[in-house]
Amino acid sequence: MAAKEKERYLRQLGLEEWNQDRLKSAGVFVAGVGGLGSASSLYLAAAGVGLLRLCDPDRLELSDLNRQVLYSERSLGKPKVEEARNMLAALNPEIKIEALSEKISERNIEQLAAGCGLIVDGLDNMETRIVLNSYSVRKRIPYVYGAVHGWVGLASLILPPKTGCLVCLMPSLPPAAGPIPVAGFIPGAIGLIQAAEACKHLMGVKGTLAGRLLVYDSRALNFDLVDWEKNPACPLCSKIE
Amino acid sequence: MMTIFLKAGSELRLKLKPDVDYYTRRVETEGGKTLREILRQIGLDPAFVAFAYSEGKLRSLDSIPQDGQNITLQPPVSGG
Repeated sequence: MAAKEKERYLRQLGLEEWNQDRLKSAGVFVAGVGGLGSASSLYLAAAGVGLLRLCDPDRLELSDLNRQVLYSERSLGKPKVEEARNMLAALNPEIKIEALSEKISERNIEQLAAGCGLIVDGLDNMETRIVLNSYSVRKRIPYVYGAVHGWVGLASLILPPKTGCLVCLMPSLPPAAGPIPVAGFIPGAIGLIQAAEACKHLMGVKGTLAGRLLVYDSRALNFDLVDWEKNPACPLCSKIE
Repeated sequence: MMTIFLKAGSELRLKLKPDVDYYTRRVETEGGKTLREILRQIGLDPAFVAFAYSEGKLRSLDSIPQDGQNITLQPPVSGG
């Protein structure tokens, strides 16, 4: 490790179980750089994950700025991934950051996420989460799930084929919603938990959210941990050994 | 008859109409009913519930609650 890297990561290198080399050699696909992805990618970049591939088709709107902390009013109207890449590259020029202004679909997910060994969910809709979940199960790629609504946020680590997948939790797709009300700090809190889970998994640190769902209700100041078991009848993951 | 306690946050809380505290509704019901049937009994469309849990375990809407059980309901959580 170069002297500058040793200095940059000084405060974490002394942690028991911390493995900077494993972070440096990792490639992470960040699906969406909105509220969740702003927070998770910021801390993944700061931690020194070697490759961050950011994917988001949207341009920044004023109503994004209550929660999407990578951006400022100077970025309004610009593609988020480009602005995110510039911000993260300024934070940590030691890592590689790729920006894909694409909408994720069943058709392109394999191409977009190729070469990345971990997925971090920063999406804003269930339909695309189902695409990510399906890709994760098919390819056995770990998937750090996160989602928010109102005062509530969810997070987990899906490890196919060991743990349950999104379809095990929600066998039918919930009805599509319009713009979702959300307290800006909720995607921040969940995004940071996702970054922590991603780093722990990449470094082989035990005690992750694998097989468990974190439900954080900030209004009630309540953290629930719920066992998220594999559904033996799941039409997607039950057939994967 | 038996009593169960249903909790919900976010917009689902408004549909649940809590009467015990900010989040919780006390429900008197006949034993043997599924959670889905109980939700319909109180006028809450089960389609608004993405998943439910109690004592750290996920509970199917087709499971039968026990007397005194506390069950948390979550709406679809899909934002980012």
